[in-house]
Order: sequence, then C-alpha cells, then structure tokens
Amino acid sequence: MSRSAQCWRWIGCTLTVMIVACTRDADRRDPATLVVALAGDPGQLNPAITTNGSVNTAASLLYDGLVALDDSLHPTPALAERWEIENGGARYRFHLRRGVRWHDGVTFTAADVKFTFDQLLLRFHARTRASLGPSLASVDAPDDSTVVFNFRRPYAPLLQQLDVSEAPIVPKHLYEKGDPLRNPVNIAPVGTGPFKFASYTPHNEIRYVANRDYFRGAPALSAVVLRIIPDNDTQVAALEAGEVDWLYSVPGPARQRLAANPRVHVIHTSMSLGGSNCISTLGFNLDRPWARDLRVRQAIAHAVNRPQFVERVSFGEGRAADAPISSGIAFAHASDLTVPVYDTVAAAHLLDAGGWTRRDSDVRTAHGVTGVPDGTLFTIGFKGMPGQMVYGDLLRAQLRSVGIDVRLEPLESAVFADAVFTARDFDTAIGSYCNGTDPEIGVRRMYVSSSIAPVPFSNMAGYRNPIMDALFDSAGAAMNLDERRRLYHQIQSLAVHDQPYVWLVETTNTQAYSARCHGFSGTAHFAATAECGR
Amino acid sequence: MRQVNSRFVAGRLLQVVPTVAAILLTGFVLVHLAPGDPVLVLAGEHGDAAYYAFMRHRFGLDESLPRQLIVWLGHILRGDFGFSYVYGRATSVVILERVPATMLLTGSALVISLLVAIPLGAIAATRPHGARDIGISALALGLYSTPAFWIGQLAIIGLALGLGSFPVQGMTSAGSDATGWSHSWDIVRHLMLPALVLASQEIAVLVRVTRSTLLDELSREHVRAARAKGLTALQALVRHALPRALLPVVTIVGARIGHLIAGAAVVEIIFGWPGMGRLLLGALQSRDTPILLGLFFVVSFTVVLASLLADLAYAAIDPRIRLR
Amino acid sequence: MPPSTRASDFAELAPAAESGPPSGWRRPVRGLVLRRASGRIGFVLVVLVVAMAIIGPTIAPHDPFVISGGSLAPPSAAFPMGTDALGRDVLSGLLYGARTSLSIASAVALIALACGATIGVLSGYRGGWTDNLLMRTTELFQVIPRFFFVIIAIALFGPGLSRMVLALGLTSWPTLARVVRGEVIAMRDLDFVRAAEAAGATASRMAWRQLLPNVTPSIVVVLGLLVGQVLLLEATLGFLGLGDPGAISWGTMAAQAQGFLRVAWWLALFPGLAITLTVLGVNLLADAFSSARAADGGAP
Repeated sequence: MSRSAQCWRWIGCTLTVMIVACTRDADRRDPATLVVALAGDPGQLNPAITTNGSVNTAASLLYDGLVALDDSLHPTPALAERWEIENGGARYRFHLRRGVRWHDGVTFTAADVKFTFDQLLLRFHARTRASLGPSLASVDAPDDSTVVFNFRRPYAPLLQQLDVSEAPIVPKHLYEKGDPLRNPVNIAPVGTGPFKFASYTPHNEIRYVANRDYFRGAPALSAVVLRIIPDNDTQVAALEAGEVDWLYSVPGPARQRLAANPRVHVIHTSMSLGGSNCISTLGFNLDRPWARDLRVRQAIAHAVNRPQFVERVSFGEGRAADAPISSGIAFAHASDLTVPVYDTVAAAHLLDAGGWTRRDSDVRTAHGVTGVPDGTLFTIGFKGMPGQMVYGDLLRAQLRSVGIDVRLEPLESAVFADAVFTARDFDTAIGSYCNGTDPEIGVRRMYVSSSIAPVPFSNMAGYRNPIMDALFDSAGAAMNLDERRRLYHQIQSLAVHDQPYVWLVETTNTQAYSARCHGFSGTAHFAATAECGR
Repeated sequence: MRQVNSRFVAGRLLQVVPTVAAILLTGFVLVHLAPGDPVLVLAGEHGDAAYYAFMRHRFGLDESLPRQLIVWLGHILRGDFGFSYVYGRATSVVILERVPATMLLTGSALVISLLVAIPLGAIAATRPHGARDIGISALALGLYSTPAFWIGQLAIIGLALGLGSFPVQGMTSAGSDATGWSHSWDIVRHLMLPALVLASQEIAVLVRVTRSTLLDELSREHVRAARAKGLTALQALVRHALPRALLPVVTIVGARIGHLIAGAAVVEIIFGWPGMGRLLLGALQSRDTPILLGLFFVVSFTVVLASLLADLAYAAIDPRIRLR
Repeated sequence: MPPSTRASDFAELAPAAESGPPSGWRRPVRGLVLRRASGRIGFVLVVLVVAMAIIGPTIAPHDPFVISGGSLAPPSAAFPMGTDALGRDVLSGLLYGARTSLSIASAVALIALACGATIGVLSGYRGGWTDNLLMRTTELFQVIPRFFFVIIAIALFGPGLSRMVLALGLTSWPTLARVVRGEVIAMRDLDFVRAAEAAGATASRMAWRQLLPNVTPSIVVVLGLLVGQVLLLEATLGFLGLGDPGAISWGTMAAQAQGFLRVAWWLALFPGLAITLTVLGVNLLADAFSSARAADGGAP
C-alpha cells in the first residue's frame, strides 16, 4: 500500500504547487494604457449599420459625429465647425472642419457625410432611419466642406441626433464598393476619432492606439484596450484587482463596496447602454378588456410601491419616476404632476368599483366587468426580456397583496418584440424606454397613435388619443423652447390622466474607474481627455 | 468472426448517414418553427416596417421554408454553415474561433479526470467494500449527484473569492500584455478552476467504470492464477487487470463526449470561458439562427463521430458482439 | 442485427455500469435494498423530498412569492436560510421548489416509461423489421445531444413546465427502450415464455403478463437513474434562466444567487444542497436496488 500513499502524496504536492503558483500575479503593463471592461463582444465595429449597444460603446472612440454633445448634452462642434438653421428649422447648413484626415491618411470631405447618411445611416441604422427618415428630404454636399440637411417640415431635434453615438461618420472611400454589412472594414475600422484601431481578437479584446493627429488634440493616453468580460461581477473583481481601469456599468450589489474603495472612483450618469434618460415602464395592453377600465389601471398604479423598486431592484440607484418624461430632460420634465402614490386601500376600492371583487379566495374575480365572464380570476400576464424579469418578480409580490395574480412570461428579445409589438399578445409588459436627450427621440413613440406598429419599443400600450397626437405634432414643430415646455407639460398631464403606462423607475447608471486615472468626460469620447498614472 | 465484425463496422458506418441527415433536419425544423422573428433583433428598436422587410430580404428570411433549407444545406456543403446575422461573418468562422477554447477546456478536464479517476478506481478495486472503496465510491456518487453549476458556484465562493487564489473569470487576465510563457501561464491559471469543475463530473463516472471493470478483470482466471503465483493484489492489478480494463474506460470516455460538451457549456457560462457554450448563450439571446444551427450541428456531429468510434472500439474488445 | 449493448448505453447511465449490462430477470429481494447503509440513506433522502413536495407548501413559514423581510438578510431565527435580493424567504422557496422538481422528474419518467417500455418490448419480442425500424429510430433519438436539444427548444419556444417535460421526455426514453429490448431478447427463448406461447398466449398478453413483469427490475434501475439525471437537467435549465417563472425551482433560485456570490452565500448554498441531496438520494436508491439484484444472482 506504500504505492498508494505515494500516489496521494504526489497528488497533494501537485495541488499545493498549483495553488501557490496561482497566487502570483504575472502582468506588467504600460501605465498610459487604459483598460476598459466591455460586457459583450460587439462582433463588428461599424456603428453606422446597427443600433447594437455594444457596437456603439466599443466603436465610439474611433469615430466622430458632425456635432458632439457635452456633459450637459448641448451640441458642440465636432466634424462640423459651425452650423446655421435656416428656413424656420427646415434646413440645416453645416460647415465642416478643414484638414481632418481619416486614420488611413485620406482627407475627410462632405462627400463622406452625404455617403454615410444616404447609404448607411438612413438604410441600416434603425433609430436614425426611423427618426430622420420620414421628415428628411435630402442630404446635400454643395462643396467639400459644406453639408445641407433639407427637411420637409421644421425639425427641432436634429442637433441632438448627430453626435457619434447616433450618427457616426464613416469613410466613403472604404465603403462605396460592395455590401456594407459584409465589408471587411467593419472588423478593421477606419475613422476620424481620437483613437485608431489596432487589433481585434474576437471574444477577447479590442485594442486602440492614440490618434496623434486628432483634430481636437492628441489624447493623453497611448492606448485603450477593451477587454470583453461578460460577467458583471467579474468586471468589478477585475477593477478591484487593478486589471481593469474603467467600467461602463457597476451592478447594484457591488456599488456600495466600490464607493468605499479608495482605489476606485464612481460616476453617476443617466447614460446607459440602451440610451440616456431611461425609464423602466410597465405598459398595459389597452386592447385587453380588463385594461380598458381606467379605474383598474389606476388601481394597479396605486398598488405599485415605486420606492421599493428603487430600493430592491435598482439597489437604491435612480429615482422613482414621478412623470412620464424623465427628469433628465430638464426643460420638458413636469415635476408637479399628481401621479398615483402607493396606497393599497385606494387600489382595493378602485378594484372593487371596477368589478373585481375579493370573496374568499386570495385572487380577485370578475363580477360584471365588461368583456370578461363573471368569475374569471384576476390573473394577468407580464412579459419582459430575461434581464427585466426581476421587475416582474417584485410586481408579482406587490400585486399579490391587492388580490391580483401576476404570471411571469420571460421572452428573449426577438420573441418579446414579436409577441408584444407585432402580435400584441400580452396583458402587461415591461420596457426600458430611453427618453434620450429630447422627448421627440424617445417619448413621442410611446404615445402617438401612428406609432402603434409592429416595431420594437413603439407605442406598447396601443394608446390612442387624438388630443395627444395633436399635442405631439405641435410640440415637434415648435422651435421655441418655452412653447415646447408648455406643450410637453400638457402631454404629461394627459398621460397621467389616461395612465396607459405605470412609470416605475428612472434608472441611472454607475460608472467606475481606477483612481490612478482621471479626466474622464461624460461624453461618448469619455477617454479622449483622460490620463492615467502609476 | 472477422467477417461478422467487418459487416458490423460497415453497417455502423452506413448508419451515420441517415443520423446526420436527421440531425440536420431536426435542428432546422426546430429553429424555424419557433416563434420570434430574428429580424427584430437584427434591426434593433426603432425600425419601421419597410426597414424590416428590407433586412429580411437581405438575409433571405423572406424565402419559403423549403427554399431556406436548400440554401442552408448548400452552405453546409460549402462548409460555411451560413452567414451569422450578428457577427456579419460566415458561421463556420465564428464557431471555429471558439473551438480551441472549448477543446482546451474539455481536453484538460479529460486529462485531469483520467489522471485522478483511474488511480482512485484502482485503489477502490484493490479491496472492494473496504473503507477506501466505500470512501471513494461515496465521493464518486456524490460528485455524480452534484450539478456542475453548483460546484462552480462553490468553487468561486471558496477558492476564487475566499482564498483569492484563482481568477474568477475569463481566459486571460484583463489588461495583461504578457506574451510567450507568461501568457501561457496566465491561461493555465484561468483554466484550472473551470477544468477542475468540469473534470469533477467526469471523475464521478470514470471512477465507477474503472472500479467495476477492474473488479471484473480481477475475478478472471489468469489474474487469479497470477495471484496464486505470489503477486500482490496491487501487482496483479497493475500488471494484468489494468491494461485490459483501460480500453472500456477509454470507450466510455468516447461515448460520453456529448455529456462532456454539455458540461463544458455550463462551465463556460459560469466562468466566462470564451468557448462554444458562451457562443450558444449569446446566439440564443440574439436569435442568431445560423449560429444556433451551426453549433447544434457541430456538437451533434462530434457526438455521432465519438459514439461511432466508441462502438467500434467496444466491438473490437467485447466478444459478445463478435460472436453474435 | 444491431449489437444488444453499446458503449453509449453505459455512458448514458454511468452508475449502472457497476452491474454490467442489465441481464438479470430474477425477482430482487426487496429487503436487500434497505439492508445496506447506502440504500437506507437513499431511502430516507427520497422519502424526505417526497414529503417536502407533498406538505412543503403547508409548512412553509412564508409565501415564497411575497416580500417578507429585508433585502439579502442573512440566515437568522426568522429566516433560517436568509432572504433573497427582493426580501423573499429562501426556506419557503426551497419547500415549494421540491414539488416543482419532483413533478417534472416524475412526468418525464412517465413519458420515458411509456415510450421506452412499449418500444423496447415490441422491438425485442417481434424482432425482424419491426425491431430494425424501431431501433433505427431509437438510435436517432439517442444520438441527438439532449442538453443542447432541450436548451435550444426551450429557449426558442419559451419556458414552461409542459414544454420542459415534453422536451426532456422526448429525449429520455431511448436508453430504457434499448435496455428493455435487450432483456426481452434474452428472455424470448426461455422456457416459461415458450410455455406461455405454446399455451396460446396472445402477443399483447405475452407482453403484459410475462415479459414486462420480468423486466421491471431493470426498468426500475434505469428509471431511477433517469430521474436523477432529469433532476440535474431541470436544475441546470433553471440555472440558465430557462425554468418556468411561475413555479419556484431550485435551479432558478441558484441562478438568482449568481449575481450575489460575494455578498449572499446562502442564496447559492441552500438550493444547490437541496438539488444535490435529492439527486444523491435517488442515485443511492437506484444503486442499492441494482446491487441487491446483483447479489440476488442477477449479475453476469
């Protein structure tokens, strides 16, 4: 048996060696390199042909838009040096910066802008296509340094839609031949931005180096490495271990710990991967008989404890939504509305009045509800994408106490879009509606009847009200800010009155970075002004 | 005898053709019967109907099902498995990028499990129902009853977070510029936990198989005769029983390849190992049909091939099959 | 004729490999199962889980769907297994979850039994082209990688108990069919079968009265191991987020733990433990049963 004893000893030794060896850390690296954690492999790096959030996040540093948005989301010059708004808001004339070169040395001209809009953005970029497409008559390049946008009617929010995350400009000379979706340049991209593409190892990392000739000045960093780390917790662990310097998003449970860590700084921002100023919103399917009764919708709004959502779903981050338009769009947000507050007694009264009564069972049943057979249990479905199901978990817990049973139906995004927006086969659904920088971008689509369409994140409720449609039409065409503010206030009062949605949480996002770095900006080019030391 | 055997081999080989065809068809039908329109993911939010129609046409999604099947079979014959919606590249290229990571993980797990399981099985077999045997058998059954994801979670809590000895996720350290040996070492450090977790599942099975085949062998005449000539139990085991018992063990390994890959998928997801399992998860979320079909096909084909080899090896050593 | 035993059969049911290819048809001595310590442990575990599934919801301290405490409260007198991120009681979740796991496992076992036994007996007793056709079909099902098939099917068609049972059931019967067929072939030429045939027993009577009772021990072992596998698969599917969200599942609970491994170990520990002990109980019992059968003289 001495042999087996030897064998055990050998196994023990090997394990010890392995564990001891593992505790050593073996990496050295250049202090001027910023390492960024990226949650998803973008697959390709051309943000002009997709609205995929990880492509946008990964590729923004390589490109520029005609304008940039500063920390407070005001348009500032980028590829366009200055611009004029003509014809009462129906024509925009941009004067381009001269002497800008693509990373491959070719000179940037107005032809690139026209090409990018005509051939890529307006064809393949779903958001730009949907928002600009219907009102835009043409994009013209009268000379090498002038671009003119001609609209069919006055269009107020254009400048908010021309920054690098909405409308990145790509080089015509590399994309004019062949299918842009399958162009090899997509994985070896060329832009004008502060960083140049160096290498891409799928599922592992993307490397950029500083563009020494950047027209707004060379970045202080020498390189940016985007590491693909799919797991949120691992991203945090990597930041704490100093393996990573920047996180786009910190998961809830880790926030307190990071905030207490002297080697890490955190930033709170309204920007997230899906867009800015997002509100997690519960939508009623107004085609369902039970949901047509305003009292029932109000009852559910009263039964929802929004602060608890903030506390337990968002881990204290963000705020309970108190209006249909996010407080991040300061000029349009109405802070003086009377949104239903958490009140289970009021909810119970409203449900009783609506014909949903509670006899001996836990779940209410219908008695004289229009379109619903008597005795039907008040069980409603809740559809959402898997990442949003935790809202459903809490909603189920909260509505149970007023006698409503919630059935969770998690669906992958494609099926979700199909079921909710195309088939309209749902009772309630959750969506993160990013309001963007202007109500025209992300709010209009939720309320106007023309956007009841088989399009993801359009008018989910199927809400139609001619007054609402008219208000949005006026607000979109008004060029005066006070006028727009007044109209959006009316819009919000009407929305709260009709309650097609329950606005749950204005979600915000926590970014975190290593204390050895500083100078990050809140813009898409967050790293262009950053510096890192030892 | 030889004739029967070669007839069995030929028959077994022929069986592969309808099997592969059935797998192809199953995968295709499954993916295309499912609800949900891939174009909605492809195009993201805010598209309009015309845009969706346009994208659908670009990717051939507006064709009839039989026509899509023919197109897809054409892609398979050409070896590219179609064009990934998300990655914008040939599916085969995207999958092939992931194969080395999965092979490294499964290969290491297999080696670890053989190195651990065969000695353990042998120790257990030397004295059946002794204390060691009971201990080892209990350990094996315990591991066999434990879900891989839980072993993974416990390993992360205990070893990676608790001791801080192992990296939690990924294949290389983030931000490391290491090359050459230190790069390989970096990968090995990341490999250890996932490989051990995956190996634990195989160890559970292999210990039991080793033990029982060894017990069978030890009861045979020639081993008993060797014992009678004065060899110790251990010597008899190592010299006479073990070599004959190894082939069935290797055969089982081949036949379990499907389980191994499935286990690898779970382990990859827990540890962020950039192999086919993670690709599968991503493709499910984005409804990237060509990738899903490609993965299903690659895994099925591997299983068919491995089980073919295992059966042939089994036929070569099991007299019952030859005599039939 | 295809070989009666293949390496892949062992691979499917690794623990059964101990007793070699199932070939015994003698009646096992039931007491032998409980005479071994492992059999007794397995029996106790299985009885406990079954009891949990039956009375769990009535003895659960809280409704596992509602908020009963603070967020992520560690185990305490009020919450012996702590609470999850939303403040729901973990212990109550575990008690409810037993029912989900066991109903899925038994439904799948029923499907596998119905398909596997029918096809196995038919194939083995009839022989000839029936056997050939059925076995070819069985092999097709056997070769489809079950885990990938089930994942893709559930992810594509959406989660739900019935879908999960169907997908698991459809891919679980082949081993049983092959084992039953092997035994029936071995039995076909034995005296008592011949005698029954000579006495004019019809084929279906033959199958029900003579063949099935004699393969029952093998069926029990195979089903036992299958139940263990299905419990693990169900948990894994829950862990991957493919479980039924309307029912509490141990796998789903373990999945929710994944984001809190650093801060709330109890979320990962207890559901995993419940799964492991249940599967262990089932496997121990199946093992003890097959050993008992071997000890009774059924082993080769």
